[in-house]
Amino acid sequence: MTRWGLTRAALACLAFTAAPGAADARPTATVDGSIVFFSDTLALIVRDGATVKLADGTRAHADAAYLDLRTDRLVLAGRAHVARGAAAIDGDAIALELDGTRVDVLDAASGVGRTTRALGPTTAADFDAERFVFPDVDDRYAFIKSKHATITPHADVRFSPAAFPTSVGGVPVPSYLHTFATGAGFGSTSLAGATFDQPYGLWGSPTSLTALHARWEDGPGAALALQQQIVSGDDAYVAASIDAPLHGYSVHGFTAYRRIGSRFTAIADASGTIYGTVAHAGFTAAFGAAGGRLDYTRVSGGGSSFNASLRTPDRPLPGGATWRLRGDFGFDAQRGGLLGLLPDAHNYATVWRHGLDLSVSTPVVRVPLGATMATSLDTSRTWFSFPHHRDALGASVNVTRPLARNLKLFLNYQGSWGADVYPNTQGLFYPTPTTPLITPDGTPYFGYAAFSGATTFRAQSGELQFTPNGTSLRLTVTHTADFPQFNGFGRPQWEVRGGARFRPFPNIGIDVSRAYDFAWGGTRWQPRWSFAITP
Amino acid sequence: MHAVTLAAAAAAAIFRIVPLACDGDRLAVAGAGVLRLAEGTSCSAFVPGRATAIALDADNRVTPQRLTPAALAAAKIPRAAYVLAPAAGRDADETALVTTTIDVLVPPRTPPGDDIYISTERSSWSPAEIRMDRVDARHFRLALQLHRGARLAFRVTRGSYGTIERNEARALPPAHIAPGEPDAHVTVTIPAWADID
Repeated sequence: MTRWGLTRAALACLAFTAAPGAADARPTATVDGSIVFFSDTLALIVRDGATVKLADGTRAHADAAYLDLRTDRLVLAGRAHVARGAAAIDGDAIALELDGTRVDVLDAASGVGRTTRALGPTTAADFDAERFVFPDVDDRYAFIKSKHATITPHADVRFSPAAFPTSVGGVPVPSYLHTFATGAGFGSTSLAGATFDQPYGLWGSPTSLTALHARWEDGPGAALALQQQIVSGDDAYVAASIDAPLHGYSVHGFTAYRRIGSRFTAIADASGTIYGTVAHAGFTAAFGAAGGRLDYTRVSGGGSSFNASLRTPDRPLPGGATWRLRGDFGFDAQRGGLLGLLPDAHNYATVWRHGLDLSVSTPVVRVPLGATMATSLDTSRTWFSFPHHRDALGASVNVTRPLARNLKLFLNYQGSWGADVYPNTQGLFYPTPTTPLITPDGTPYFGYAAFSGATTFRAQSGELQFTPNGTSLRLTVTHTADFPQFNGFGRPQWEVRGGARFRPFPNIGIDVSRAYDFAWGGTRWQPRWSFAITP
Repeated sequence: MHAVTLAAAAAAAIFRIVPLACDGDRLAVAGAGVLRLAEGTSCSAFVPGRATAIALDADNRVTPQRLTPAALAAAKIPRAAYVLAPAAGRDADETALVTTTIDVLVPPRTPPGDDIYISTERSSWSPAEIRMDRVDARHFRLALQLHRGARLAFRVTRGSYGTIERNEARALPPAHIAPGEPDAHVTVTIPAWADID
């Protein structure tokens, strides 16, 4: 990472840490004791003496405590004591909500009494056992064990320290923020894809999260990234990030989304590197099952593009098949001229275009030999305001054949054919090379001389999937036959991929795969690993 | 005669409970009512919040027992055994891992070779959290192990946030819920993806 990149990362850290601080909801509860936490039930259980402090000054302790983070209900079990100011109340068990007023007190000898958070005298009440549920859990399968937890209702819980009992090595960390807010924006990211990305929450609230990401990226390798998310339920979000590879240049990212009523959405995103910036804004509209979309993109260096599209609903065809038509209209622009190969390129700074796209899909239908099949076809043509049009045709056939109860065979064929046509000027835009193209291992690719804008991509694959008892094993063989394609140029001709998803422990899953490209680019085979740990 | 048979059956049964509190000869059971301890039984046998087993004698009084997998749920304790009976009880057993099956139907324009994933709050919404198994060209399935009583919020992606599911209006839908109940089944039909119009 460059010094300037580091400086910007530090500045971003400062900015991000200040922003969520202002937005933070005040923690409603802190809990001390021997804590076990279950991420799927959001059950936080405190054993061997529990101490709870609520934001309104309420203090409580008991032999054990259960906090249901889905409902914010606290159950104090065994010699329960709750105090607020000078008022106090005791019981064999006490149930209350973090942000509610009702307090139920169970005295095993006399029954249930009810009071408020002011802890005045109790009045006799029905024995509502639902209020006094304490889950029967197996601590060995806890997601996190800790000694101290700080809870922000409906948002997150911070454990200090945090140990992950069944993770690899079970190494504790000083602090861990677990976010359980369900707003769609909490899954948003302005970071580019990575081979591995492990977020580590720093600060959070019901509407924001600041997280550090430990990443491994194709190319630069190890990287650290910082991302800030601000979320408004499922309706809106903003995410901004800075990604700083240890060896490479930093990348800034931004993305935002806003739902406008039930029909419209607005989106915006941008990214910046040392090579320039790309900014995009979009707008979608739905008219029943039909819809439209506007997109505008601007890149540094004076480039921009605009596209407006309208699509029909999926309309029925015989046999359950459907068709859909989409029309596009827009422009591409470049300061100084878009068609740089022309001597009068400056006359073509903006080239308008319009296009039509027809897609047809069949449903999954039964075919002989106990198999099922689905097919799709897509064809499009785009016309430009310069003498130029582009045609594309794509087709796919997918066959599924069960071989045994947990064993399936999938056969797929995908083809796409494209033609980039410049009437009368084809040779200008696709000139015959004067010297042969050299592939990555130094071999000349003479056949490339035949390439004049027409492309072919064809892939056939067969996959076996075996899924016994929650485990998934896959073996895939893929063959491609493209043009242009030769010895390291284009897609590998043969690839074999094996993968397994399994659970070595009840609350930890592993998804691992390995792929080989055979005899491609001068190497006999190129193995590639992917590895993921899942909850 | 019939009542005597029932009483004998209850007396022989072992129940799995979570003690809420024990004071004197009274034992409060989580999600249930208050039982009475048998003569000679001490509260020291019960730790609040820790699952244990009990048996009821002929007088419906509690004696501690060794916890075995054969123990019945606390909800099976005869109502007559409670000295303080609840208005309604609830089984608090969340030790069991139950299988919830999620079926996802993808739209026709889904790229044929793409894997389908679910993203949940457990991983802070990692978009490629768990890969689903393919059933056929448009149908994916995942058998998910959850603690009983869980309510897991999830969304469907093709492996990245840029490929997350959208509804028919191309807006982000609310999260789906996978319940931690035995043999629970959730079917999700995806109208569209974020990156495919």
